[in-house]
Amino acid sequence: MKNVIVFVEHSGGQTRKVTFELATQARRLADALGGEARAVVLGAGAQALVEQLKAYPLDVIAYAEDPDVDTFLLDPAVDYLVAVAQSAGPSVVLLPNTMLGRDLAGRLTARLGAAMAGDVTGIEVDGGSVACVSPKLGGKVVTTCAFKNADYGVVTIRPNSFTATAGGTGARTAQIEKPAGKSYAMVVERNVEEASSELGLEEAPVVIAGGRGMGGPEPFTSLLKPLANAFGGAVGASRAAADAGWVPYGLQIGQTGKTVSPQLYIGVGISGAIQHKVGMQTAGTIVAVNKDGTVPMGDFADLLVVGDLFTIVPELTKLVERAKAQA
Amino acid sequence: MKIVVAVKLVPDANAEKRIDSETKRLVRTGVETVLNPFDEYAIEGALQLKERLAAAPGSAEPATVTVFSMAPESAREVLRKALAMGADDAVLLTDAGLQGSDVWATAYAVAAALKKVGFDLVVTGGLADDGNTGGVPGALAEYLGVPGLTNARAIEVADGKLKVQRETDTGYQVVTGPMPALVSVTMAIGEPRYASLKGIMGAKKKTITTISLAELGLDRAVGSDGAKTEVRELAAPPVRGKGRIVEASDGAQGAQVIFDYLKEKKLV
Ligand SMILES: Cc1cc2nc3c(=O)[nH]c(=O)nc-3n(C[C@H](O)[C@H](O)[C@H](O)COP(=O)(O)OP(=O)(O)OC[C@H]3O[C@@H](n4cnc5c(N)ncnc54)[C@H](O)[C@@H]3O)c2cc1C
Repeated sequence: MKNVIVFVEHSGGQTRKVTFELATQARRLADALGGEARAVVLGAGAQALVEQLKAYPLDVIAYAEDPDVDTFLLDPAVDYLVAVAQSAGPSVVLLPNTMLGRDLAGRLTARLGAAMAGDVTGIEVDGGSVACVSPKLGGKVVTTCAFKNADYGVVTIRPNSFTATAGGTGARTAQIEKPAGKSYAMVVERNVEEASSELGLEEAPVVIAGGRGMGGPEPFTSLLKPLANAFGGAVGASRAAADAGWVPYGLQIGQTGKTVSPQLYIGVGISGAIQHKVGMQTAGTIVAVNKDGTVPMGDFADLLVVGDLFTIVPELTKLVERAKAQA
Repeated sequence: MKIVVAVKLVPDANAEKRIDSETKRLVRTGVETVLNPFDEYAIEGALQLKERLAAAPGSAEPATVTVFSMAPESAREVLRKALAMGADDAVLLTDAGLQGSDVWATAYAVAAALKKVGFDLVVTGGLADDGNTGGVPGALAEYLGVPGLTNARAIEVADGKLKVQRETDTGYQVVTGPMPALVSVTMAIGEPRYASLKGIMGAKKKTITTISLAELGLDRAVGSDGAKTEVRELAAPPVRGKGRIVEASDGAQGAQVIFDYLKEKKLV
């Protein structure tokens, strides 16, 4: 494996933040392997994103502004990625560990007969061979997995595991040719946006999560959202809150939900059950607000403030907003 | 219509995990093997679909639900649980030669077995609880050569076509495709049902067929020989110690404690 290929996830004309983390790692890996770092950006708006990507240390930015990528599910994107990988020769493909990233990674693993590592938080190159570090079994063990018997590696990277370092290196841009003779069967008939769903919970630098203690859907919007906005972060939830229908399942953090790794996690009215903990235990700093000082959250939070969330959260929002206004 | 649910067996997530300091392997003794929690939703989704098809007017032959797993022989007990939930029969791909299979090898072997079993629809969970990789459903769809509609929160079959609501980060999309196909489901498909006493009794009479590696006639090595990844090291994660616990006298004071702490940490 020599070259490194980064899949660029984007929506609404915005590149997902994790892309820049991937691009930064791609540079480091490509240098260690003696190859090139290439980004692949596909679908509506691809060409416009090329300029944004130039701010990062990539050698090639390959794009295909092809409506098929958005009209048909996954297949066209897989074909483009395979085409780029094959023309690059033995390489490592980096994707974000998001719903889309995982879907594409599985497909690429089969198409390229690749070694796959998922939910990766560290990558090492040792004498030309690649090894990936990732937490497994609900974070109870950390594995280092080496690639063997494969020309290609496919890696999904947990957002917020690496810092993004800007610095363009004059990347070449290239339009990817449409793979010939393909017809696609999985049709995306329509997209339904649910306003309450959060974009990029997994990559938000700050996550404010609410649990059963929130008491209903309304405090998520009236209390947590303003606090999340003050931090420039996102709102998440425990399963109890998702099961109650207060928030969509997309916001659920934990064993059967999303894994988040923000700089700061604030758990509000969440007891900190093991199944919740596994989805947020790698956060940089963990703060909890709970009226009960004996909850499991107290065993691993950096700070647990014992008190009523309905009085603490609005005051905290004010303090953070004030600090932001002064900055 | 033949629905096959592909499930994985995983170590119980809630059991304490220990790494043997000598062998650097996970100590398995005392850790119960359970159905991957995500796959319980796959079984639920398949059973719901079967029930809806049976209730639909003018439905042709009744749908059946087969549970499939690639697992050690000891998995039989766990498969009984799926049968007790309402699946009709089970197939176990079991062989010492499969041990050590990674994402690629698993998808390769399971696809061959599923082709042998035959299906109109394969249903899987979205992720495995132990590995959190999520690569297998997509890789399976590729090797089966069928459409792979992932992250479905609702599945509908009409006129031999499949229509799913596919969860996205901002909502969902409506996706259609021909069958045979593969669908992976999310938790929003519905809470997995509990096995009834009747179901548990009935499960004892249902058949579990086994398939061995040789029967698949694979042209590529799987198991640890064929795997393209190799675990080089297992380590315990850094421990998160107990932090500070502070009683708040009122809202403003509690907020101030948090704010001061975040300031100290340069997070505000
Ligand atoms: C197989 C399986 C998978 C699971 N997966 C997940 C998962 O992915 N994610 C997940 O989160 N859970 C998961 N769970 C559920 C988990 O076990 C817990 O039930 C759940 O996390 C509890 O949510 P909670 O903390 O919001 O609710 P509770 O445990 O009920 O905690 C609510 C907390 O709010 C506090 N509170 C109430 N009112 C106030 C107030 N006014 N001010 C301050 N504090 C207040 C209470 O003291 C309490 O500690 C799973 C369970 C199983 C069995």
